[in-house]
Amino acid sequence: MMKLRSALLVLVALTLAACNRVNSAETQALADATAANKTTPVNKPSITADGQAVNPVGAAVLEFQKRIEAYMKIHNEAEGKVPNLRRTDDPVEISSREKALADAIMTLRPGAQPGDIFAKEYQPYFIQIVQDDFKKRTATDRKALVHELPRGVKVSINTVYPTTLPLITFPAMLLRSLPDLPPELEYRIVGRHLLLRDVKANLIVDALYDVVPTIPT
Amino acid sequence: MRKSPVQFLAISVLLLGCVATGDALIDQQPAPAPAQAQPLRPATGGTLPPVGKDSVKFLVIGDSGTGDRAQNEVAAQMWKSHSVFPYDFAIMLGDNMYGSERPQDYARKFEQPFKALLDAKIEFYASLGNHDDPNQMNYKPFGMGGKRFYTFQKKDTRFFVLDSNYMDRDQQRWLEQELSQSKSKWKIAYFHHPIYSSGGRHGSEVDLRAVVEPLFIKYALNVVFAGHEHFYERLKPQKNIYYFTAGGSAKLRAGDVQIGALTAKAFDSDRSYMLVELDGDSLHFQVLSRAGRIVDSGTLPRQATGGTS
Repeated sequence: MMKLRSALLVLVALTLAACNRVNSAETQALADATAANKTTPVNKPSITADGQAVNPVGAAVLEFQKRIEAYMKIHNEAEGKVPNLRRTDDPVEISSREKALADAIMTLRPGAQPGDIFAKEYQPYFIQIVQDDFKKRTATDRKALVHELPRGVKVSINTVYPTTLPLITFPAMLLRSLPDLPPELEYRIVGRHLLLRDVKANLIVDALYDVVPTIPT
Repeated sequence: MRKSPVQFLAISVLLLGCVATGDALIDQQPAPAPAQAQPLRPATGGTLPPVGKDSVKFLVIGDSGTGDRAQNEVAAQMWKSHSVFPYDFAIMLGDNMYGSERPQDYARKFEQPFKALLDAKIEFYASLGNHDDPNQMNYKPFGMGGKRFYTFQKKDTRFFVLDSNYMDRDQQRWLEQELSQSKSKWKIAYFHHPIYSSGGRHGSEVDLRAVVEPLFIKYALNVVFAGHEHFYERLKPQKNIYYFTAGGSAKLRAGDVQIGALTAKAFDSDRSYMLVELDGDSLHFQVLSRAGRIVDSGTLPRQATGGTS
């Protein structure tokens, strides 16, 4: 009797272990992805010059949005200088319009510097969001996010995103944690850098360098 | 209180049953019905003719934009299929153009390989892959209407075309609104990155899945097509939704399918494309290789309620 009971208990234990092994990596990654969205950077309140305590996250987002608005003024001014965007059968129109818009924006931002939009004092906010997200991902997941790109790609702001490079998929859960952007702009990751890219002009607008944790080889 | 051996055995069997069910719910819940496609015909021979008369018939192309010999050979085979299975339009699962996207690339990687289809006025509806410049949306032959994500209707079928490269809140809101408003008999989504895949190189896009799958389930989506993986895979229904990966229309990642619990059928030894027919409550599909040989085919019934959680 005892032998039968022990055998059944062993059978139950083995089944449980086997079930836990099935797709555990994928399930964990999914759980991590969900959990990542719940992470919010928490800092101590900042004190303004007039002595008021402010929520630093709110202040960072507000400042970021102001800078985005300022960029959009430039973008819109540049759009006014190039032919209207329209649907066409002719790919020449698409590529020449993209180039013309990029040239116009570059001309209007001659002294653009890294940090013009990702303002230096608020960079820790973005860094924390990205790092919190990656921290909760498995090594396999992290690697999968960036393996499409060749290593050692150099990117500079106010230049065209290299047209022969794929645009790696931006992690949907990380996107949920970052401040919204107007449709003309998007976040992208290249190597360890978080970029702001102008979609219509294929232009790198700003970059936050070395923000993505090192990816295992 | 001592239990008899019979009671103990019964409890153990019950427990084992619960464990097995719990595991299935984690990842690969078998669809209530039907998990298996009914074969159209034995998987041999060439293109099969359509079953219905007034059905929705379309071609599925994935990861095609190389401009190389393989793409041209597959495209030629697609055109041959058209004489037997006259599809009305083609859906593109992304990576419509690899590498540079100069005007001559549009010609070499799209217009020339698919010239016969374009000349026959077959409409294309493209989605964006990770190799695609989003400005492709303005290229009329891609049928995107100037939008990165969009929807279109064919008879009783609504197609939802997503940009899986960048699933931001705007797109999520749009998707929920469109899905909630659709009263179509068939609801089909397609996009580049598969949320379920047995690919050894990429695998399932769990990040994307966490965002879109709840909407697919809530609004009873029927079918999902994706590319990105350079092979063909028919997956076992996931939460009562049918999934196909068909990203081998030019590039091939030979031997990359890690056949496992997700896989219903896979083909990774040559390039491939799909022909799909929606006829009443049935979805008929056939998958052909570059040589025009059928490598998978079958019929799936429309789910009574689409995706279920």
